[in-house]
Amino acid sequence: MRALSLGRWLRAWRVPPLPERWHSTLPPQQKVSVEVLDHLEHLALVDFRDSEGVERLQKAIQFADQLHEVNTDGVEPMDSVLEDRCLYLREDDVTEGNCTKELLENAREKVEEYFVAPPGNIPLPKLEERDSFLQGS
Amino acid sequence: MLRASLRQVSAALKEGRVTPTELCQRCLALIRSTKFLNAYITVAEETALKQAEEAEERYKRGQPLSILDGIPIAVKDNFNTAGIETTCASNMLKGYISPYNATVVQKLLDQGAVLLGKTNLDEFAMGSGSTDGVFGPVRNPWSYSRQYKEKSVPKSHSEDKEFNWVITGGSSGGSAAAVSSFTCFAALGSDTGGSTRNPAAHCGVVGLKPTYGLISRHGLIPLVNSMDVPGILTRSVDDAAVLLGSLAGHDPKDSTTVQDNFKPFELPNLTDVSKLSIGIPKEYNAPGLSSEILALWSKAADLFKNAGAKVVEVSLPHTHYSIVCYHVLCTAEVASNMARFDGLEYGHRSDAKESTESMYAATRREGFNDVVRGRILSGNYFLLKQNYEKYFVKAQKVRRLIANDFVKVFRSGVDILLTPTTLSDAAPYMEFIQEDNRTRSAQDDILTQAANMAGLPAINVPTALSERGLPVGLQFIGRSFQEKQLLTVAKWFEKQVQFPMIQLEEVKRHDNDVFHHQKSASFS
Amino acid sequence: MLLTLLWRATFPSMQVTVSQRIHNLLCHLLSPWVPVVGLEIHAQISSNSKLFSGSQVQFAAPPNSLVSFFDASLPGTLPVLNRRCVEAAVMTGLALKCSINKKSLFDRKHYFYADLPAGYQITQQRVPIAVNGSLSYSLCMDSKMSQMVTKIVRIKQIQLEQDSGKSLHDDTRSQTLVDLNRAGVGLMEVVMEPDMCCGEEAAAAVRELQLILQTLGSSQAVMAEGQLRVDANVSVHRPGEPYGVRTEVKNINSLRFLAKAVDYEIRRQIEELENGGTILNETRAFDSRLGCTVPMRDKEGKQDYRFMPEPNLPPLILYDAKSLPANMNHQQVINIDWIHERLPDLPSVKREKLVEQYGILPEHSFTLLNEDGLAEFFESVVKQTQMKPKKVIGWILNDLLSYLKQYSLTVKESPVSSFLLADLLNLLEKKEISSTAAKQVLAELWKGEGKTPLEIVKEQKLELLQDQKELEQICQAVIDERENEVMAIKAGNRKVLNKLIGLVQRKTQGRSNPVLVKQLLEKKLSE
Repeated sequence: MRALSLGRWLRAWRVPPLPERWHSTLPPQQKVSVEVLDHLEHLALVDFRDSEGVERLQKAIQFADQLHEVNTDGVEPMDSVLEDRCLYLREDDVTEGNCTKELLENAREKVEEYFVAPPGNIPLPKLEERDSFLQGS
Repeated sequence: MLRASLRQVSAALKEGRVTPTELCQRCLALIRSTKFLNAYITVAEETALKQAEEAEERYKRGQPLSILDGIPIAVKDNFNTAGIETTCASNMLKGYISPYNATVVQKLLDQGAVLLGKTNLDEFAMGSGSTDGVFGPVRNPWSYSRQYKEKSVPKSHSEDKEFNWVITGGSSGGSAAAVSSFTCFAALGSDTGGSTRNPAAHCGVVGLKPTYGLISRHGLIPLVNSMDVPGILTRSVDDAAVLLGSLAGHDPKDSTTVQDNFKPFELPNLTDVSKLSIGIPKEYNAPGLSSEILALWSKAADLFKNAGAKVVEVSLPHTHYSIVCYHVLCTAEVASNMARFDGLEYGHRSDAKESTESMYAATRREGFNDVVRGRILSGNYFLLKQNYEKYFVKAQKVRRLIANDFVKVFRSGVDILLTPTTLSDAAPYMEFIQEDNRTRSAQDDILTQAANMAGLPAINVPTALSERGLPVGLQFIGRSFQEKQLLTVAKWFEKQVQFPMIQLEEVKRHDNDVFHHQKSASFS
Repeated sequence: MLLTLLWRATFPSMQVTVSQRIHNLLCHLLSPWVPVVGLEIHAQISSNSKLFSGSQVQFAAPPNSLVSFFDASLPGTLPVLNRRCVEAAVMTGLALKCSINKKSLFDRKHYFYADLPAGYQITQQRVPIAVNGSLSYSLCMDSKMSQMVTKIVRIKQIQLEQDSGKSLHDDTRSQTLVDLNRAGVGLMEVVMEPDMCCGEEAAAAVRELQLILQTLGSSQAVMAEGQLRVDANVSVHRPGEPYGVRTEVKNINSLRFLAKAVDYEIRRQIEELENGGTILNETRAFDSRLGCTVPMRDKEGKQDYRFMPEPNLPPLILYDAKSLPANMNHQQVINIDWIHERLPDLPSVKREKLVEQYGILPEHSFTLLNEDGLAEFFESVVKQTQMKPKKVIGWILNDLLSYLKQYSLTVKESPVSSFLLADLLNLLEKKEISSTAAKQVLAELWKGEGKTPLEIVKEQKLELLQDQKELEQICQAVIDERENEVMAIKAGNRKVLNKLIGLVQRKTQGRSNPVLVKQLLEKKLSE
């Protein structure tokens, strides 16, 4: 094996080793409040199963905070790399539908030709009344 | 025959040296005997044999549909396939039989390809190891290769094989393993942050990520709509070009495909690289890059220089922010894309009946794994009114900076960028699962992610074996919609490095033909 | 009433908007509260297929039969924009004097509901297709429709968005049935700024919008079929103070209920505040049975729609004559100027033309346009008769229209065609019958038995007496019979003459021309 050196293509560009780099240089941030966590559970209809779930969010936010190190003055946000292309327009013809059977086949519960949901859109109970991990917080 | 290239086997079919049904049966048999790789979630034996029979009829009449007619192909299980289960390796879609084919799947079928089955992945394509799906992890075929076994020190006779097996990388690990173990001649993957190139590098196959907007995503269950592309995995660059030719082009069902006319191309055999300018982005010497790969990269640069190409160091200054940027944009899109999984129209449905909301919540708790749920919660956090500007819009701005980095470099006269694909060779499974999914993805995606941000085409070309006897690949990144140039250069490079063929016992047993023994002495 | 006269007297010729504001202010001088009403109107686009998919748009159909894979949110499906929906929105924007954004964007609005399969709606939150327009509408100041006032409401924006499916709540079996036929149908949301001050104004503004949409054909805008849905934003404040907390009122199914709901909500808020209470920023539903608004069950905590750009739809680019690209497929190009040139006459223009062409009153033109097909009917009659339009209009608006209303018929369903009515009016014009007789004939025609006016006249012997001599004789006879009345007339009481005319009418069984009779009587009495 030849001696491994950086070679002339890659001048000495030293980067700190992995562990330090990924920790934010910003001051430690506030913990996310229980209200916000509860709000998220409602909006996403996904719950934080345990403290690990909450930790995961905390870490994700901390990780994302690194974005603030970048100077983006005067930079326009980019929705998509196709922002300079224009939207394809379809003719107003009826080309789909009439497949009730196929659609209902994949539904676990149905009534005649309807999809069926439990009654109304009763919102999830308040934090105190719900069986959520956050209750202990 | 199983180890032949796509072109070679297509010619053999045409000449009648082998029939589509024989080919299909051999592939199916090999799938059965390599079941321990766990590369396939669903094997569609019946339909595949039927397709093979139909292909045979066409060959008999001398009317094959295309070069792909009768050729066995595998498809990642996040592409919709009518009549064949599509699960995304998630409990949410276990048992889901889609009523329609993804456009790319339809195109393959229309050209006579034989669909062998759906390959394994990380749940909903979230991950870089193909270890986080409900059907279990995919094993890298190279774990069982003579090359790896020779280099690894067994701890004891019985436990070594199981203990030391390495991951395929992800999230298209099943597809990469399927191609790598010769069970099919090409496979479809998807690439959002490197999900095709990463496993391609670890499994020693060619992994192509086309330009965003070139190939239709209609029917590809999305992870990040603004970055996803269908990926192509093959055993040679030429084969990838063939697949690309049959898949690319405007699809009226996908408004993010460009309306320009696409002309399939034949790859020229490049001999003179003196007019080429190769860029070496210094920031891709990322933290954690193994010295082995660094050396390989350096050698590759030398290769081009010695052949007369212009090789320059360039800078893509915002590279190391691409992971953070990706993290925010990806989780936000995931939060949005996963909102449709509520059990009402399809997929898993919980028994909770008190209210619609409680049913939805329970369904999602039962259907999604922790990785998916974690990303949904993070994504929703970044999309909250009070956070939107601070995180999402900010990330979009950083995205533009990253994309602009590439524009500047390409404008300065560089034709192709040469970078490593992965930080190291494939990790052993037991080591890999020590870190959590997000951290792993963050680390492993660093080299592949930026190309998705910018929508650029990129390809992994297997280059050499590492000290442990595992594949290492290098990546080429090209200009938007310049796949022909990209693949031409990749093909030249492939020819120079002569990457060794994997030596698998199982394959030897199934493939009795004399195969071309690739000289393995060239690049290491 | 007094206010209007005051206003008109003081500011006869000012710009409408300024005088309108002053009018409002004067209104409010009488009350310590200023009501403020804004509207969000969803109009279903009249198209064959949906906004982002190729399934059909139709009002009644078997459940889930007009649903594509995309509408059902099957994973992997993608939206593709319907050209016709864009054209409808551009037409509407131009008619409402908006600026059309040459580049507009689509966004996702997230919330969970059984009738929203994807868990988000595709809408235009950041940059909608049209902004900053205005709508002129008129109100009558009294019930006789004799005084009209023109008002203007600003249009904040028009955006394209998807309609949701329908949930049918089955409380007996404790379940909700979901029909996605309507999911994905194209909607134009028209946002009207809070420039209105009462239920009447809101209803009039929506009525005018409805007429415009129907004239353009961009939406059929029938409220009863859910093609036009209105949500009202209502608040009150004291003059000079900032706007109060507003409530949103939903579930309004007709123009009449809109006016009622808005007025009720204004009164409720005033009462609440005057009693020392506060107004909550909430959503209320209008209960048409009770005629009041009730709080809707609100979501737990605040709603956050987490808007995000729709990544599957690049920007929508529109062109005009100047920016038209040279070699682009013309099916992919929408030219705003081209659409503008082909806009039909809007209701306000149509009304002006009617007034100018036929010399009818502005109020009349409103009624003509308010009733589907009535203006065409009127014009058709005018063409076929010598009677002056100014007289014809009376027969259309007073007689024909009241019959239609009485029997709940549309103009199309009228048993009396324009041809028949013209025929009748000709008889009247030629003085072959009296106007009383004409009314009788019309009543008979209404039965729809297929008889012509002439036939009815002959049948019921309604012809005017033509023989002058005979008429003279009858007049003389009446004069001779009624000495007392004659004396009264000769003494100076002219009113009594009408009694004599009436008696002559009776003797001739209504077949005498009252004008002629009057002349003859007067002549005889002066002898």
